[in-house]
Amino acid sequence: MSWLAELRTAALLGTGRHEPPSPPGDLGFQPPDGLSREESLLDQAALADVVTRALRRASSIDRAIGTADRHNEAAPPDDAPEVSGDAARLLELLLTQPPVGLELRAQLVTDWLQLATESRRRVPHRLLPALLTLAKTKRGIAEHLYPAIGARGRWLQDIIRPEEAAVSPGSVTDWAELGSADAAVELERLRLADPGAARRLLRTQWETFSTRERAAHLGTFATNIQAEDEDLLEKALDDKAKSVREVAASLLDRLPTSARASRMAARLRPLLRVKGLLRKQFEIDLPPDPDAAALRDGIAPDPRTGEPDRLGRLDTIIRGAPLDVWTTVTGRSPAATLALLEGETRVINAILDTAVLRADLDWVRALFSVRKDARLLNCLPHRERELSLVRYIRDGANPLSLVPLLRDMPRPWARPLAEEVLKLVTAKNAGQLAAMLAGFLSQAIPLDLADQCRGLLERSDEDAARRRVLRDVVQYQSFRQSLTEAFP
Amino acid sequence: MGIMVRWSEERVVGAAPDQASLTAARKLAHPGPWSDTGSNDVLVWGKCQGSGRTPYQVSVDTATPAYRCSCPSRKFPCKHALALLLLWARGEAADAGEETADFAQEWANQREDRAAARERRLSGQQPDPVAQAKRLADRLGLMDAGIADFSRWLTDLVRTGLAAARNQPYSWWDGVAARLVDAQLPGLAEQVRAMGSDVHARTDWADHLLFHAGRWWALTKAWAMRDQMTPEEFADLRVALGWATATAGVQGTEALPGPWLVLGAHRTDDGRLQQQRTWIRGPGGRVAVVLDFAMQGQALATPQLAGAELDVAVALYPGSAPPRAMFTTPVAPRGLVRSLGEGCSIAQALEQESAAVAASPWRERYPVLLSGVRVSAADPGWLHDGSGDALPIVDASLDSLLALTGGYPVDVFGELEEGRVRPLTVVVGEAVMTP
Repeated sequence: MSWLAELRTAALLGTGRHEPPSPPGDLGFQPPDGLSREESLLDQAALADVVTRALRRASSIDRAIGTADRHNEAAPPDDAPEVSGDAARLLELLLTQPPVGLELRAQLVTDWLQLATESRRRVPHRLLPALLTLAKTKRGIAEHLYPAIGARGRWLQDIIRPEEAAVSPGSVTDWAELGSADAAVELERLRLADPGAARRLLRTQWETFSTRERAAHLGTFATNIQAEDEDLLEKALDDKAKSVREVAASLLDRLPTSARASRMAARLRPLLRVKGLLRKQFEIDLPPDPDAAALRDGIAPDPRTGEPDRLGRLDTIIRGAPLDVWTTVTGRSPAATLALLEGETRVINAILDTAVLRADLDWVRALFSVRKDARLLNCLPHRERELSLVRYIRDGANPLSLVPLLRDMPRPWARPLAEEVLKLVTAKNAGQLAAMLAGFLSQAIPLDLADQCRGLLERSDEDAARRRVLRDVVQYQSFRQSLTEAFP
Repeated sequence: MGIMVRWSEERVVGAAPDQASLTAARKLAHPGPWSDTGSNDVLVWGKCQGSGRTPYQVSVDTATPAYRCSCPSRKFPCKHALALLLLWARGEAADAGEETADFAQEWANQREDRAAARERRLSGQQPDPVAQAKRLADRLGLMDAGIADFSRWLTDLVRTGLAAARNQPYSWWDGVAARLVDAQLPGLAEQVRAMGSDVHARTDWADHLLFHAGRWWALTKAWAMRDQMTPEEFADLRVALGWATATAGVQGTEALPGPWLVLGAHRTDDGRLQQQRTWIRGPGGRVAVVLDFAMQGQALATPQLAGAELDVAVALYPGSAPPRAMFTTPVAPRGLVRSLGEGCSIAQALEQESAAVAASPWRERYPVLLSGVRVSAADPGWLHDGSGDALPIVDASLDSLLALTGGYPVDVFGELEEGRVRPLTVVVGEAVMTP
């Protein structure tokens, strides 16, 4: 044991129980005679202190950083020039002393990044850490970091938070080696870029997965689902695990041309009857107890105790069958068919779910006239979607019911919608509506309505929520103006 | 080399006493309410139309810095002074060349008169030698007794063992510290108090306590031998024990003329006391440190910008190099340098530190200017040089260091402490920056 180690032991245990070591002779240290144990230990501690500090040596960098290459590479040079001083100051202001609320701040930083990208300039190096930190919690910002953060920014991201750097495409060969969480992420990415490749990949490895992995991986097919997916989904209906079968069934619900959809159509058709002289009575029967084929298609079996949920079985059949079963039975359009179904809330809900899942536009339009459901609106093409909403507002919609619809609308809005909403906000007693729109209205109002908003704010009353919303709009627009000027 | 220094916006932000003042100042920082603005080498002035009839008169001495405003605000500097500085920093108002406004000139003159009067007063004071000798004897008596008491406590500590000491409640350490304060040994008290939490917070607590016990023991022995010490050694001992040197005594010593270059600064805040260390280098290459203290909630002296050359006279406290220093004249920034000059390698820096420890074993911190070092992100962050030597980084924003340097070799000024380096300033391209 070395001198220092012995000294340490004696000190820890105490000289009452452990004798201190003799001082090291080779340092030329000559203790005086007649020292007590305590004095000797303290003398040696003083020596150890000075010797340790005076003998301090640097670590070897190779040992310190190990073999991790990424710690060794300097950043590649930046080819884009830094933004102007004004633009840098505005970004710094947004990052360190935001003069606006947090939502607006995030939007303005995103705007700043877009403007920098358009003018082929980059973020000053010193502002990168604060920007990257903010991007960690704000997805909108994270999506616009490139190329504005430049080579230095990418390098920094790679070094300080490698797990967040973008997954490099084309790494599929090792997919089978990935852990199941990473594999799911990678499959999700591939599914987005190339659904066919994702399907082939999954099919080749299918047998090797655990139940949970099969269910999770199959679930990624919800993105970009297509007719070619049917084979694998149909096969999964025979899976031994219920969770996998359920995923397959719910995905097949989205494919109205599949074999399962035809089987569901055959189950639905006998349950529907239009009666009466004017053929205006719509009767819907409950489905019979499921046979083996029906069970395979995901219709619920009898529970162990109690009555079976027959209404639930009907929902399953409706969701699985093509929607044209309904129009064929009634011989009418979707709108007229829905009119016949008035009062059948549960059935209409099931039809609505189905139409949304399949983005069936005829049905979506017909349903939107009876149900103001945000999901329906989201299915419509952008322009039609805005127009439908404008029409709905002009028809006297309950303003509070608009909030979810407006929140999902891509921003900024077109002028007609923005004007309608401003009208609503400035109407009497609209304080509550204003408060509910506060989170996104400023980004939604197009820039050319800025003056109008300023005018509204000047005329505005004592309602605090309304004033705040209008002030946010004006602030956003004026800061946005400074941004545009800072990027010539 | 010197150019007229216009503050950066960051520096104005740094001068603000709190966030609210800054927010208020930003609202005023547009030319609208301002009139009669102007600036010269030292002063920035202007009038700000507030809610009252007479506009507020605002003057700022950017050198010291010092602020004056006719508004009733108790914030210091007030929002008007900050707003004026913001406008000036952005080049939107207070351009140079205007004749100095009367109110600003008047204020500057008053300050000069007051400074001169204070100097006269200090030099004119003749303390009563008899009373002074008695006070000194009383103090030495208290300290002798305190040191003897502390030696006994140390021997008890090692007899029962460090492991047992670790099980003591915090109040045990605090009690020892309180006795040391009573014995006029506040520097020692502070170390003991810190140890009370360090033994739980640090993974290397056993060595930390062992070495400190040794250092404390050496202090008690040194105290007994103080009559045989050189004045420099005795001064170092006084600092370690916390026996302050009177400012007046330092002011009376020879003032060293500038320009003094600001190498870097560091602020700490332990919850009760804020401290600011500003490392400066004089014309002959002599390095010193200016210490500022403020109680919690009070404003520290405005930090000097790293890389600034200051026209200022400096007096040195007694003690081994690098000594503590104080500014004895108003600080006038001349301009910013583009480089801090030639530094050394990591191995050389450690040798210098070693020599400083040999000269003064109580020294805990040593300033170094490292040349051609790169920043590595490997945990916990390292500075390394061309010969493969590396030092772990402490107390610095690694992200910021990496962003500024890009992993390329740069010059770094920092403090060595317990085998680690605290980077305070980096020189990137042609600019001296604070990470």
